[in-house]
Amino acid sequence: MSALPPDMDAAGFARLLGELRGAVGSDWVWSGAEDMFPYRDSFSPVWNTGEERHASAAVAPENVEQVSEVVRIAKRHRVPLFPISTGKNFGYGGPSPNVNGSVVLDLKRMNRVLEVNEARNYCLVEPGVSYFDLYRHVEERGLKLMLDVPDPGWGSPIGNALERGVGYTMPHFRDHFGAHCGMEVVLPDGEIMRTGMGALPGADTWQEYPYGFGPDPAGLFAQGNFGVVTKMGFRLLPLPEYYRTGLITVPKRRDLIKLIEHVNYLSDSGMISEVRFASPLSSRMADPDFAALATKLGGPSDVEMDTAAEAVDLPSWAVDLQFLGPQAATLAQWEYAKDRILSDIPGAQAIAGDHFKLPATEQQLENTTQPYASGIRRKAALGVPSLGIWEIVRDDGHVGFFPVIPRDGEAVFEAQRVLGDAQREFDLPPYFSAITVPLFWHTHTFQMVFAPSVKHDDPEHNAMVHRAMKKMVAVAAEHGWGDYRASPIYQDDVSATYSFNDHILRRFHEQLKDAVDPDGIIAPGRGGIWPRRFRS
Amino acid sequence: MISRRSLLKWTAVAPALAAGSHAAFARMPHGLDALLLDERFSPEPQPGQPLIPVMRFAGDVTRVWYDHLDRRWREPGYVLGGITGSDALFVLENLAEQHGRRVVSRTVLDEPHFQGVAPISWVIAPHHPSVLA
Ligand SMILES: Cc1cc2nc3c(=O)[nH]c(=O)nc-3n(C[C@H](O)[C@H](O)[C@H](O)COP(=O)(O)OP(=O)(O)OC[C@H]3O[C@@H](n4cnc5c(N)ncnc54)[C@H](O)[C@@H]3O)c2cc1C
Repeated sequence: MSALPPDMDAAGFARLLGELRGAVGSDWVWSGAEDMFPYRDSFSPVWNTGEERHASAAVAPENVEQVSEVVRIAKRHRVPLFPISTGKNFGYGGPSPNVNGSVVLDLKRMNRVLEVNEARNYCLVEPGVSYFDLYRHVEERGLKLMLDVPDPGWGSPIGNALERGVGYTMPHFRDHFGAHCGMEVVLPDGEIMRTGMGALPGADTWQEYPYGFGPDPAGLFAQGNFGVVTKMGFRLLPLPEYYRTGLITVPKRRDLIKLIEHVNYLSDSGMISEVRFASPLSSRMADPDFAALATKLGGPSDVEMDTAAEAVDLPSWAVDLQFLGPQAATLAQWEYAKDRILSDIPGAQAIAGDHFKLPATEQQLENTTQPYASGIRRKAALGVPSLGIWEIVRDDGHVGFFPVIPRDGEAVFEAQRVLGDAQREFDLPPYFSAITVPLFWHTHTFQMVFAPSVKHDDPEHNAMVHRAMKKMVAVAAEHGWGDYRASPIYQDDVSATYSFNDHILRRFHEQLKDAVDPDGIIAPGRGGIWPRRFRS
Repeated sequence: MISRRSLLKWTAVAPALAAGSHAAFARMPHGLDALLLDERFSPEPQPGQPLIPVMRFAGDVTRVWYDHLDRRWREPGYVLGGITGSDALFVLENLAEQHGRRVVSRTVLDEPHFQGVAPISWVIAPHHPSVLA
């Protein structure tokens, strides 16, 4: 399936391709169904339907000057560009654009690690640098720095951060956009801008002080469409000396409320790395009676759940804790966490886990010696990129809805109930039930996960998934829970839910877009922001 | 588990593909440069010297990628054959595309699946001018 850019005929398209080839070299411009196949979203629930979004061409510049030239050409031809870094945004649209016929601006050739500073703990990279590339750079130079990596490791610090993606180490590092410091951006007219201290010629603090002076526009480039990011700095964690783990369980359903408050305290005080909540009762979901109870319309009562837990002698909740730091400090923090929680929640128990000096050995990274069942994926927890997460991918992939919910036990119970009831009409595994736990990825908030699989050979299933996604977005929003990130096919739905004061946030973004990019040269529609040309 | 007979049959066929219609593959005079076997499907290593280097893994391609392919695919040439699960091939195909390579042959094998994952024999060859040998 090949598409043409909006308002353009075949002759105009041929002229556009000719100019792009002139700018970057003829080997680095692609069009036609076969060459464009890799730029389709193979995880799409609208795969092979009229709703699937197709790019018309792809262009891969080698440096920022070429990016600027490509943007100027696109502006002359009024053709939307869709910038990608490594283009692995699976679950959220892959490399496919918002607008049919867009030209993918594939930045994979700009793959230089420009600086990694061990004394000051930061890096500066180009968009085509993957987490594997950055890890190799750090490893080969023997630098004592820890990365924070998302899954899978083939993604890029820039692409991931611009999606506000997440990793699995300390709170301020696993929010990847939050951990960025300084960026270089090609604006919709081709001008090159630097944010923060990068705007001050001669400053050596670009990766240390993000704001510079005056308003900081950096946030506009995350999930936005105001420019093409060509360099980005990130803060890095000095490699901690030691890693320690421990598990805490609590017996009763409502103990989750206090447990979460303690975890909030530990996390916000900088004492713990990522935590994994779990319900040991999840092993009971194979029992149809228990599954029926946990997914009961309106949710089961606390007494019903406590009775079920007591009957099988299992605690209601567990939390996997991880500590990074000097050996003595991690031990003191574990002792403190244990005392704090066990002295406050009757029946709580603690089990000490694996602990060792960093960097970890290959065997330690495999996480085979933990004395209890653990949800921790050790490589991710220690910033080591991996492709192993692929084992969770079912069928032909999945789409993701990850509503942001308060870090509060009552809110977790409410989300379990509301979202569990909402998904009942769809023939899908129970993503939400009375044992669903929150994910603690972003620094200060929880999320839950809804990620139904798609099947290329089953359009009816995909259509059901598509309906389910839209319904979940809408129902969650009615309760104040918004999606944190969405595939292009859902970005308008999600953006519409952030509607305070008659959608003033979206209207403000549209005003900005109209001012700097009225023709929609950079990713029109991304983040639900459409310029005037496409609104009409 | 793929039978040794199937494996032998397929690896014998692979060099013949070099004479086939795929220009990129036809350019490689010696057929495959290496073979990648997914231990979830492939038989145990056999005694004796294999004709080409064989890399083994079990579903997770991380080490194969980081230790071998990531470096090898930055240079021109290198035709890789494999018998892997469809899941591992999806990952490899994506990485290959990004490095100017394509799957030029793909056959779903009529062999038992592993936890619902089908075994596939395939060849990935350089495609983009920047990596053609
Ligand atoms: C099994 C599985 C597990 C996953 N686990 C995680 C996880 O742990 N954490 C997580 O965050 N994600 C996860 N993901 C989602 C996704 O794979 C990653 O977020 C991935 O890093 C995103 O792809 P990328 O880095 O190649 O970014 P890209 O696809 O390159 O970029 C993402 C988007 O950002 C914009 N963009 C990219 N580069 C630029 C630029 N230079 N200028 C302007 N705009 C740009 C584009 O709109 C693009 O579509 C997972 C996916 C799967 C399938």
